Amino acid sequence: MKLALFLGCTIPARLKQYETSSRAVLEKLSVGLVDIREFNCCGYPLRNIDFKVFLLSSARNLALAEKKNLDVMALCKCCYGSLKKADYLMKENASLRKEVNKSLEKEGLKYEGGVEVKHLLSVLYHEVGLVSIKEKVTKAFKGLKIATHYGCHVLRPSQVVRFDDPVAPTLFDKLVEVTGAESIDWPMRLECCGAPLWGINDGLSIDLTLKKLTDGKKSGADYVCAACPYCHIQFDTVQKTILSQRNLNHPLPSILYPQLLGLSMGIDSETLGLKMNKIPISEVENLLTEQTGLPG
Amino acid sequence: MKITAIPGKILNRFRSIINVKRFSKTWMGKHLTMIQLMELDACMHCRTCSSQCSVAVAFEGIPNINILPSEKIASIRALASGKELTPEEFRNIQEGIYLCTNCYRCTVVCPAGIDLQKLWFDVREILLQKGYPEYLVLSPLSFYRGLMKEEMVQNDYQRPLIQAREAIAAQCDLMKRKDKALPLTPTDRPFQSGLNLSAQAKTFSVCFGCQTCTTVCPVVANYENPQEVLGLLPHQIMHAAGLGLRDLAFGSDMLWDCLTCYQCQEQCPQGVCVTDVLYELKNLAIKYVREKTLSSVERT
Repeated sequence: MKLALFLGCTIPARLKQYETSSRAVLEKLSVGLVDIREFNCCGYPLRNIDFKVFLLSSARNLALAEKKNLDVMALCKCCYGSLKKADYLMKENASLRKEVNKSLEKEGLKYEGGVEVKHLLSVLYHEVGLVSIKEKVTKAFKGLKIATHYGCHVLRPSQVVRFDDPVAPTLFDKLVEVTGAESIDWPMRLECCGAPLWGINDGLSIDLTLKKLTDGKKSGADYVCAACPYCHIQFDTVQKTILSQRNLNHPLPSILYPQLLGLSMGIDSETLGLKMNKIPISEVENLLTEQTGLPG
Repeated sequence: MKITAIPGKILNRFRSIINVKRFSKTWMGKHLTMIQLMELDACMHCRTCSSQCSVAVAFEGIPNINILPSEKIASIRALASGKELTPEEFRNIQEGIYLCTNCYRCTVVCPAGIDLQKLWFDVREILLQKGYPEYLVLSPLSFYRGLMKEEMVQNDYQRPLIQAREAIAAQCDLMKRKDKALPLTPTDRPFQSGLNLSAQAKTFSVCFGCQTCTTVCPVVANYENPQEVLGLLPHQIMHAAGLGLRDLAFGSDMLWDCLTCYQCQEQCPQGVCVTDVLYELKNLAIKYVREKTLSSVERT
């Protein structure tokens, strides 16, 4: 299996450990990745400003992947949501498609709707499969409680993103449990992380982040687990800022999903970039056992 | 050959020193470090940065050349040379510098080794403090600025955010009416028909006012008295769009405080694409206010 890896802007600039850990995990699972250097912004931040620019920006990426005959795998959930939206609009709306393709034509590109947009988690669940992942788990976690954070832009609008059941999703929970960790039930698990308003209305953003993290902590979680750079940075860098501002010292640290999975597969913590997280997570290694993921 | 090459090199060195000295005396130059002034002089305008820019494609739809990093630095250089700019030129530079995802790609590829990312960041703040409202601060492009806020003075950080909202509200006369009694003005048809960028946005017309969107909104739920803070709530904005009340839709803080978490849209029993409508209203508001304020700036 070969997929075009869509890193977006935030990961290479501010969250390298998400890239290295994802690459390491996918290599173990024999998922081939192709880097397309010409990829540009997914369009997400431009959508507030100009819809057409958002669509063109997003569709250009799809056209580049289509030219190489590859499906796209995003690591960021906002990239995923944007690319899905663009794919949806380009298929549904003939006049928009015509207009966007006219702009793309100048570069010798066009998008015909032949690319499937995937997320790291959907690739792991649907393409690799839980059984194959379990086979690679050599050091299952024991006694680790994880608050699994889905992220808005993979779940909704469900008609467009088609990731999992928008009301009662299970995909991410199952992926967390493959590592031996327990994915806890927590009331606010489907709520927003607060990141979309960081830099725009910090007070409101902090309120929402704190509410969510407090709820996870109250529900017994040791860590919150994210698979999106915006959510993770919000739970990590921004949480750290909030804690120091408000003199709080009981964080709910955030671990990226490929870091969690990578540890249970025996990948070294250096490759997974555990030390690059702003709120330390290395204690999670103490909960690793010598058990495999397979029963018996 | 060698004999002629040496004087050329020395000449360049001299020119560079003269340029940097000249830059350091201007308003822009005074705010930059000596290294940055030298970097302005070192740019050869080879455009490698623009060829790798993550948002260069936006230039296709937003005809502002300052979106491209190679042109941004040329404009900053012009500013540092003391060039007089019209308010419109100034705002174009400001917008171009803000329209950046801070992905570092330009900086990584620059053959002259210029720290473009740092230059954008510093110049962005210098320009924002000049006081022209920049509406792009109300987009997720501000995420990086938020992460860098500890390096800024608190007031300088907040000011552009407040200014942008105030500038938008200032153009929305209806919002300023204290009694909230609306005149029976005819529906603003161009505004209504303007909500047509995607088929999704047209769905506002089937809203029957059940308030589900408002009930499930985490932003609304965050406040004891949400209307006081947010202005119109989601279902009211849908209604305002239906009535063609542009000012009420544009002037509500709800629009800019929307997380785009899509809870409202997912749960709407009528299939109104609430979040998509809010997105589109933001586009229209920025366009409307920008056109209106630019023309008034030009007049004064």
